[in-house]
Amino acid sequence: MDIDDILAEVDSHAVPPATRDLQELTRAWVTERSAPEILPWPDMLMERILERLRRQIELVEEQTGNTDPKANFRLIIIQTELERFKFLVRSFLRARIAKIDAHALHHLTDPSTKARLSPSELQYATAHTSLLHAHYHSSFLSQFPTSLQRMDDTAGGISMVEGPDVDKAVFVRALKDVEEPVYVEGTDTAFDMRRGDVVVVRWSAVREVVMAGDAELI
Amino acid sequence: MGSYYDIDAILTDAQKVPCTFDLDIPGLGYLDENAGGDIKAGTRVSLPLWLSTLLAVQRLGPSSQQLCTLDLPASISPRVLAALKAGPKTVDLRQLASHYYELAARVLELFEEEEIVDVLGETFKERAAEIADHAHNPRGALGEAQDFLRGLDEMERQLFRSAHGSSNAMREWMGETKKKR
Amino acid sequence: MYGDHAFKLVQHAKRTQALVHLPHYQTELVRETTREVRDLDKDVSNILAPFEGSFNPSSEPATACSVLVNHLCMRRNKRCLLAYHRVRSDKLEEMCWSGKDILDQEQQAGRQGNGEGSGMASEAGNQSSLSPEEEEYIRQYGDMLAAYKGQWTDIDLTGSLEPPRDLFIDVRVLKDAGEIQTEYGAITLTKNSQFFVRQGDVERLIAQGYLQKLS
Repeated sequence: MDIDDILAEVDSHAVPPATRDLQELTRAWVTERSAPEILPWPDMLMERILERLRRQIELVEEQTGNTDPKANFRLIIIQTELERFKFLVRSFLRARIAKIDAHALHHLTDPSTKARLSPSELQYATAHTSLLHAHYHSSFLSQFPTSLQRMDDTAGGISMVEGPDVDKAVFVRALKDVEEPVYVEGTDTAFDMRRGDVVVVRWSAVREVVMAGDAELI
Repeated sequence: MGSYYDIDAILTDAQKVPCTFDLDIPGLGYLDENAGGDIKAGTRVSLPLWLSTLLAVQRLGPSSQQLCTLDLPASISPRVLAALKAGPKTVDLRQLASHYYELAARVLELFEEEEIVDVLGETFKERAAEIADHAHNPRGALGEAQDFLRGLDEMERQLFRSAHGSSNAMREWMGETKKKR
Repeated sequence: MYGDHAFKLVQHAKRTQALVHLPHYQTELVRETTREVRDLDKDVSNILAPFEGSFNPSSEPATACSVLVNHLCMRRNKRCLLAYHRVRSDKLEEMCWSGKDILDQEQQAGRQGNGEGSGMASEAGNQSSLSPEEEEYIRQYGDMLAAYKGQWTDIDLTGSLEPPRDLFIDVRVLKDAGEIQTEYGAITLTKNSQFFVRQGDVERLIAQGYLQKLS
């Protein structure tokens, strides 16, 4: 299978929903691992994936102990697939947690970023931040003058709260011809993206295109 | 400017540059190893970036009184620049400053010195190519290579490490795919 | 000079980043750096006291400069202290995620002087390399992580981040690990024995150093 086949499949509606979910999950996983900033939580997709995982786990539990060799073989196939799915979801969640931990306050204070977290991620970020601040406080900060105890100061030319570097370079492949040329802010660079093109560019320049689903990170 | 919690950014900020005080400041003698005393106008002291750059940009009072004036640090003096122009790969940057480029970048934000910027840009390009070469084709701990690698500043070291790592990862991946076929 | 203690802390942090284990908490340096902040703050109050709250920086540039220097020193110390603690807490959290029981290891290291296998124990000597605050922090973080993981029971969030290749693997037992339950019944893991087991069943034991995966 070469690139064009893969690309052709993306638009095709003939793909069974389960396969499409796997494709979507794989793409979400790759994007989350490559993009410098956190992406919107795909709640519908995750719900379907988790439901499917639950069903398969149940199936495995029911079938275990079945001594029929055919059933046993089937079980091994299901379990192998199960492990792969679990890995994808786990790695996806961990990539998100790593980003949240790196810039926790940013994720809690910037409204548009905050909206991208799942409810349980938001809960984790909130709890982690307050634990960390309590830790700083009991270790030394409580002995500071009150005016210096803030964790979100911006004085002295440097902000304590910072977000990810959205100008980080990413590898991106166009899934279809992108209508508008891509501009790289702050430079004279602008270019067209045709289906199948692969470019290395700042994330900030292609963020919209990727979010719209017209291109994918690789 | 570097991130608030970033250790390398903090170490960059600890590097010192010479500055001259433009007025008498009572009680600041400790900056000039004269604790309890005062600093007299015209005193030249070496102060870390986190202090000197912020003092140098302050303007106070109706006459916009300047507190102190920065000078270029010795690590980007004409002598060093001449050496860099003559042979970018022979200069031990680490000895001049552990975070050499970052230090220069911070100082040069406050000076109009296009030529220095150009020299350092060229230096980095030439050295980066050499670093990539060493990272992909390790020649062991041979004299000249070792001297060059020891003289890398912190950013160059990180560049070397990631280039070396990616070259290893590439080799591993190629080996793996070969095995499968 | 002010900021010197803080600078040493950051140098420690830089070294810590390159280490596998967590070196000793620099109690003394943290205390000195914190004390410096309080002294500087007192200084500022003393300098400003004569002005009784009506200090005008423009008319007193020299005094303003002293105050500014003191403020910058305090902020610098704060940044260094935060960064130092952050490097350490990051490391502790990483250990939490990888399933190491840090507190238990610390206690063992304290008793034996030299625990086995774990990187943390090697330098720990007779006392814990964690500050009491860090111990408390990691306890709470561990609880929180367990709660977060609990929402993802089907996934095993702290499981391996290596893509799975084989459902079943060969393992050698490095330390007695007692009996484990698998879907094919119970297996007793005694030292030096070898088993062919489902990877998902033993991942945790591999991470903890009880089992070794054979390729």
